[in-house]
Amino acid sequence: MKVGIIGGGGWGKALATLIASAGHQPRIGFRGSRPSGFPGTPNLEALASESDLLFLAVPSEAVVDAVEACSLDAASRLIIASRGLEPRHGVWISDYVSDHTPCRQIGAIAGPALASEVMAGHPTALVAASPFEAVQEATVSALHSARCRVYTTDDLCGVQLAGAMVGALAIAVGVADGVDFGIGAKGVIITRGIAEASRLGDAIGADARTFSGLAGVGDLVSCASSPLHPGFAAGRSLAEGGAVSSHIILQLRALLALSRRVGVDLPLTTAVLAIATGESRPKRVFDELMRRAARPE
Amino acid sequence: MLPISISGFTVATHTLINPSHRSIDKALIGRMDEFLGALDDQAMAAYLANTVFLERSRFSKHPDGVTAKERDRIEGLARALTQGPVAMRKAAGRLVRAYSREIHNRFSDVSFSTAMRLAPAALTRLLSPADSGSRIWPEADGADRVVVSGPIDKIRALAEHHTLIIAPTHVSNLDSLLVGYALHLAGLPACTYGAGLNLFSNPVMGFLMSKLGAYTVDRRKGHRLYKDVLKAYSTELIGRGAHSLFYPGGTRSRSGCVETALKRGLLGTGIVAWQEGLAEEAPSPEVLVVPVTLSCSLVLEAETLIEDALSADGGARYIISDDEFSRPSTVLKFAQQLIALDTSVVVRFGAPMDTLGNPVDEQGLSMDGDGRVFDRRLYVTDRCGKAVEDTQRDREYTNHLAKALLGAYQRDTVVLPTHLAAFVGWHALGVRFPRLDTYNRALLAPFEQWVDRSVMVAGIAAAADAVDAAVLRGRCRSMLPTGKNRATEILTMAVDAFSGVHTRQVLSFEDWRVLVDPKLSLYYGNRLSGLLSPKDIQMEENP
Repeated sequence: MKVGIIGGGGWGKALATLIASAGHQPRIGFRGSRPSGFPGTPNLEALASESDLLFLAVPSEAVVDAVEACSLDAASRLIIASRGLEPRHGVWISDYVSDHTPCRQIGAIAGPALASEVMAGHPTALVAASPFEAVQEATVSALHSARCRVYTTDDLCGVQLAGAMVGALAIAVGVADGVDFGIGAKGVIITRGIAEASRLGDAIGADARTFSGLAGVGDLVSCASSPLHPGFAAGRSLAEGGAVSSHIILQLRALLALSRRVGVDLPLTTAVLAIATGESRPKRVFDELMRRAARPE
Repeated sequence: MLPISISGFTVATHTLINPSHRSIDKALIGRMDEFLGALDDQAMAAYLANTVFLERSRFSKHPDGVTAKERDRIEGLARALTQGPVAMRKAAGRLVRAYSREIHNRFSDVSFSTAMRLAPAALTRLLSPADSGSRIWPEADGADRVVVSGPIDKIRALAEHHTLIIAPTHVSNLDSLLVGYALHLAGLPACTYGAGLNLFSNPVMGFLMSKLGAYTVDRRKGHRLYKDVLKAYSTELIGRGAHSLFYPGGTRSRSGCVETALKRGLLGTGIVAWQEGLAEEAPSPEVLVVPVTLSCSLVLEAETLIEDALSADGGARYIISDDEFSRPSTVLKFAQQLIALDTSVVVRFGAPMDTLGNPVDEQGLSMDGDGRVFDRRLYVTDRCGKAVEDTQRDREYTNHLAKALLGAYQRDTVVLPTHLAAFVGWHALGVRFPRLDTYNRALLAPFEQWVDRSVMVAGIAAAADAVDAAVLRGRCRSMLPTGKNRATEILTMAVDAFSGVHTRQVLSFEDWRVLVDPKLSLYYGNRLSGLLSPKDIQMEENP
């Protein structure tokens, strides 16, 4: 199977490593400098049309340009490996692709696979989501090996939501770590964060079970345990008085806009945005969260 | 909006393909043989056992109307299930043949072609004012009974080289006649369509429908074998180039709401027929879907439908056979009421789309969301052009089509004065009785069923402004009057339109009050649910 990867960053190279382990020959489509150690091409359109399966592994803010450059057609099979919503339009990346290209056979992957650990050869697992069984099967074939187990689901919306929410919650865990709230606070953030994601998922038609799987709990636990995770690192930086990139703020705003559209309250995500924008200090935000009225779990 | 003149119009350059009994029987049996042949003996037994079980359940729950022949066929199948695979397959074949005849049996070449010549003219006379039987005005004129709008020229041109699936919203049992009439007015080709067996309960309408291209669909038969035969029949007709009409909502909207969910069964036959045509290199394999939104000032069966929606046993009465439609005198009286209105029905033909819901250009080529043309054949072939069969993929493609249709239905719904006034009436009752839920509000006592007239007018003014805003955002269409006193005008138009239509008045004036029938105002107002909310009606509570 010919497998293309759009994006020559750390995650793109990690995917290429997994794909090679599964016995395929990946090619990376890149802009700028050629990723070392992997076959690649700067011609994204050619790569898209020559690939049986195409992974999109660029930061969410680069999705629009990458999709435009690929000129996807009706035969394309695209797997979204980017995390979060498309920030310019505030929609799921799958919806953006569907609204602006003929491509319909779309899937997404998520899970507790850190790029650095994959590159180091550690075992990992991912969930591949698509309403199309053929896309699920192709993704399993592309990635499943002794180094990576791949599970399948048809809950594309849930897996994308889990990825976006984990990105936000990892920041909250990083902040809690940075202000030294202890391991118990991280446990609270993880469980209440998953409850928050499940409520939003329920409102938009996702399967609640997705959040207790690899894309939800699995990914969040790995984030909470690793200072290497970009979200966790961003949270720690905030706790120490640093700043985060505007892309993270755009992501948080897009998530909150979605939650308002469907009438779901996201207290933890709101708190993270308040900290990220500097509207409120971490300790004060957590203090306010703790003072919320008691309620059944 | 497109004005259409039917002066001197000649029906259908298109030749409607009307297969004979024998030809369709043969094709269906071939299709079902192939389908059943792909099942192993165990899967086949389970498939047929489902048929026996569901049919026996139906016979015991609803014994009326079940014929001895029907029972014999099912009992024969039940016996065959115990006699081994050969007997099983033979019995299944007999059932397929019987269903094929049942579905197709009202088609007759001679009467169909005669009806196609005569029926449109008869309908034109029925639905047009006496002094202008050969004209239809543009909708802005507001003087016509049936307003037909949309990209008619484009659809007409596409019909020359594409097979069309006409997919209307479903409001009333009169819809098939109405759509047939609208197709005629628009100069679009006639369609074949599936009509529920219960629709034939009205002998006059049943005769007309069967002669106008209806094939029979018995919705009481819920088992897979019957549904598969029906789908095979539809696929066969589309594949042979017969323009077809489906109601993707499956049945009339019980609540009065615009469809929010669609049935995928028959809708999915379009993509199957298209792929078969591509694989067989048929001369015109392309299939396109045209959404049609019906917006009716009045609905004949409103009383029965809303009762059904509100009743706890709505499911059991899913197939209503004893509604207003089954009484010819009621239909006639209703038709007279309808003709007396300035604008009774708006039939809006939406933008044509491919079988995945992508818009198409003037040549019928698919376009992506940014208007770029692409080759849609790649959805179902590999890059070398070889067909790739995948039924699960096709089901998912049909979900995309359904989503696109639902969007079109909402955008093309035309808000009429009766909808708006009923919406305000229902919610004004809600303001008077804030502690009552929907069901208790619907059961208000007659002496409680009123709203202050000034409150109604204020509510209508606010709601009409909200509709204007929604129209500007492209969320719906509207045919409401404009001008200073439009709220009063809308209310008067609605009260006049509702007068004497149903056994209960939906809205009527009494001194300083407007009497509001809760159930019927809920039904008609529901056309705007999802578009307006009670917040859009800034009304004060009644004293």
